[in-house]
Parts: sequence; structure tokens; C-alpha cells
Amino acid sequence: MELNTKFMKETFFIVMKAIPVTLEITIFTMIISMVLGFALSLKKIGRKKNHLVNFYVSFVRGTPIVLQILFFYSLLPTLLNYILNIVLKLNIKIFDINPIFYALAVFVMNTTAVLSEVFRASLLSIGQGQMEAALAVGLTPWQAMRRIIIPQSLTSALPNICNTTVNVLKSTSLAYMMTVQDIMAVAKKQAAFGYNYIEAYLVVLVWYIILCTVIQLIFRVTEIKVAQYKQGKRVKVLKIQGLRRFSYAGIKERAQVVWR
Amino acid sequence: MRPFHPLYIIEAFTKIVPFIPVTLATMAGTVLIGGVLGLLLAVGKLSGKKGLSAAVDSYIYIVRCIPPIVLLFIVYYGLPELLKASGININDSGKWFFVITTFSVLFSATMAEVFRTSYEAVDKGQREAALASGLTEFQAFRRIVAPQALIVAIPNFTNALVKLMKEGSLSYTIGMIDVMGKGQLLIGMNQGSYGLETYIALALIYWTLTVVLEKILGTAELNLSRGKKNLAFGR
Repeated sequence: MELNTKFMKETFFIVMKAIPVTLEITIFTMIISMVLGFALSLKKIGRKKNHLVNFYVSFVRGTPIVLQILFFYSLLPTLLNYILNIVLKLNIKIFDINPIFYALAVFVMNTTAVLSEVFRASLLSIGQGQMEAALAVGLTPWQAMRRIIIPQSLTSALPNICNTTVNVLKSTSLAYMMTVQDIMAVAKKQAAFGYNYIEAYLVVLVWYIILCTVIQLIFRVTEIKVAQYKQGKRVKVLKIQGLRRFSYAGIKERAQVVWR
Repeated sequence: MRPFHPLYIIEAFTKIVPFIPVTLATMAGTVLIGGVLGLLLAVGKLSGKKGLSAAVDSYIYIVRCIPPIVLLFIVYYGLPELLKASGININDSGKWFFVITTFSVLFSATMAEVFRTSYEAVDKGQREAALASGLTEFQAFRRIVAPQALIVAIPNFTNALVKLMKEGSLSYTIGMIDVMGKGQLLIGMNQGSYGLETYIALALIYWTLTVVLEKILGTAELNLSRGKKNLAFGR
């Protein structure tokens, strides 16, 4: 078997131009789902059992994302067209909408369910006393949430958020089914000219590994930053050590040694 | 708005259900091969040899970064070419061959972590105590460590299995006729109409399969951890 290396080199840079699309979907999905997921997790923590929320989470967990993509891509455009143009008579050109928005809708729906579980677990890991103490000191519930609860729960949630982000990045490879021009779609198009499928997909593979690594590195650095409060004053020195080694556990160990 | 026929959901459902065994069979094949591979990887990582565990780590890292569909396409287009160079022709073998190969690679990485974490979850003292009381190394593993590790492994295994089933639905993209493939075929045979109804039927099937799998493994976990509970109460 011989790989067409010239084609691979060319495709590598052509595919690179589509990276913003892939990252756009990933980043916007994460931002929107984090807000929605957090709201949902607060709802879940409440005493009352909400059947609708359970139903929604169970549906998302129980069906493949390809199926969700195909389902909503065949439902949403016609449904929107019906509601906006025929019922409300707004005359919007629904079929000219950039398919990225449909992709975002599906991925947000999927990720919100996952993140709501992540946030719920991390919020539950904070002792009830923290909230009570904050309220007793005179903070408003929102202040207590923002200054006391969220910073603490973030340390336990971040590894899971990182995992979720990587999973979203991986599932964006399915967005080509909605005619989104992400790296997968572009590579596929390049491959079709000369039937160089193996080469094109290998290029995509390399790009996914690069993107994945970058995301994980960013999260490592953020994790170290967020966990600073646990380590008292010697944060500055530790941060530099931590960046050098990229290992949170290692830093924690060393931090304890230094502290003693 | 195009017409919606709720009755067709039932029709599609009955047409797709006979293909559930195909999905389950490919899953079983993947679990078998991927599980053995994962076990070998976990043993490699736990062996304590630096080079070996670094190699296993990088394998797991890379596999975790690969979107399933990309690997599926690479295996589907690349493997026949690769094997042709060494004189083996697999172009005629069924689609299931490529599906099982692909998902075994993905599943093995997940399972390696499942095996490793569950082995490490059992306290070292358990094995030492077993050896001290005269069991052989193998007996200690089979009678003391493994049963405890199994309980820890089951929830993670359930997650991995459900993930595998959901990712396995991608195999329709290379023309495999499993549950998802049959659904796509039905839509094709209806010239693209009844798409929504067919997808609803598919969603119902996958949803049911997920819930059933989780129930079965949940019950298994309860049964297996019975011994543990009695001990806790006995104290």
C-alpha cells in the first residue's frame, strides 16, 4: 500500500481552513450548554422530582447522536418553516439558514443533559454547611453561589467538563451529515476528487488528535489555576512548577511538602 | 408541513425489530475482542514496566481522541489495502468484519481503563492477606481480588457498553444492515418519505435497548455485591 503523501500535505492545509467551523460548533455548544446545564442541575437538586427532566436526560442518554442528528435535521427545518412562515406568516427564508445552527441545536441538546449531571454531582460534593455559612455571614444566595459554591465545585467538575468538551469535539465529525462544512466534510470532498479516502481520513485523524491535545492542555492549565485557592499563599511558585510538569497530582504533593 | 403518519411508526418498528440480533451480535463480537485487548492493555499498564505502560498510555490517549466515524472510514478503506500488500484479500468479507475491528479498537481503550481502575480499587491488603493465609497467587486473584473488582467494574462497563451500542449505529455509513442500517434502508425504499416516523421507531428501539441493558447489569451488580452488604451489616 502506498500513501499519496503529496495529496496528504495539500489536504492537511486545506482541512486546516475548516478548523474554525469545528471549533465554533464545539465552543458555542459548550458555552450554551454550560449555562443551560447549570440551570437544569439546580432544578434537579431541588426536592421535587421532575419527570420531564428525567425523560429528557434519559432520551438523550438512550439514543445515538447520529439518530438525533438525522431526526432533528429532518424535523426542524420543515417545522420551523411551518410555524414561522405558514402560521405566523413572517416570510423568513428558513432553507437558507446556515446548517451550523441545526448542528448547534442538536449538540446543545445532547451536551446540556450530560453537563447537568456533571454539575449536579459537583454541586452535591460541596457540603451543605458552605451555603449555610455564606448565608449566615450575610451574603445573598446569588453571591454565595458565585463566590463560595461555584469556585469550589468547579475543581471537581473541570475534569468532567474537559471530557465532555473532547466528546463534543469528536461528535462534531458527524455534523457533515447536516451539510456543515467542518474538517470532516472538507476532507471528504477533497478525497472524492481522486478517490484518496484513506489519506484524507488519516489527515482528519491527525487534526483531531492535535485539537484534542490542545483542548486537554488548556483544561490542565485551567484546572491548576482554579485549584489555587486550595494551596494558600505559595501559589506563584507552584503555578510555574505546575505548568512545567502539567500534573495536578504532582503539584498537590509538592505543595503539601512545601507547606509543611 | 408534510403529513405525519403515527401508524407508520408501528410498521417501521415491526420491520426493524428482526435486525436487533445483528446489532447485538456485532456488539458481542466487539465486547469479546475489545475486552480481551483491553485486558491485555490493562495488564501491560499494571506491569510496572515504564516503557510498556507509556506505550499503553499513548495508545489509550490517541484512541480517545479519534472520532468513531473517522476510524470506521479509515478501517473500511485502509485495511483491505493494507492487507492486500501482505497478500490477504478481505474485500469479500462482510461489513461486520470492519465494524467489529473498528469498535474493538475503540472499546479496548475504554475497557483497559475500566479494568485498571477496578483492579486498583481493591485494596492491596486484600491480596496480601490472602497470600499470607496460604492461598496461591492465582487463588488470591480468583477468589479474593476478582470478585471485588468485578463489582467496581460493572457500572463503568455498563457505560462503555451503552456507548458502544450508540456508536455502533454509525456502522450504517459503510453499509452494514443492523438496526440503524435497516431504518435507513426503509427510508430509502420509501423514496425518502416517512423519515421522521422511521427515526422515531429507531429511537424507541435504541432507547429500550439502553434501558434493558442498564437494568440487567444493574441487577447483576446488586446480586454480586450481596456478599459485601452482609459483611457491612454483620459488623
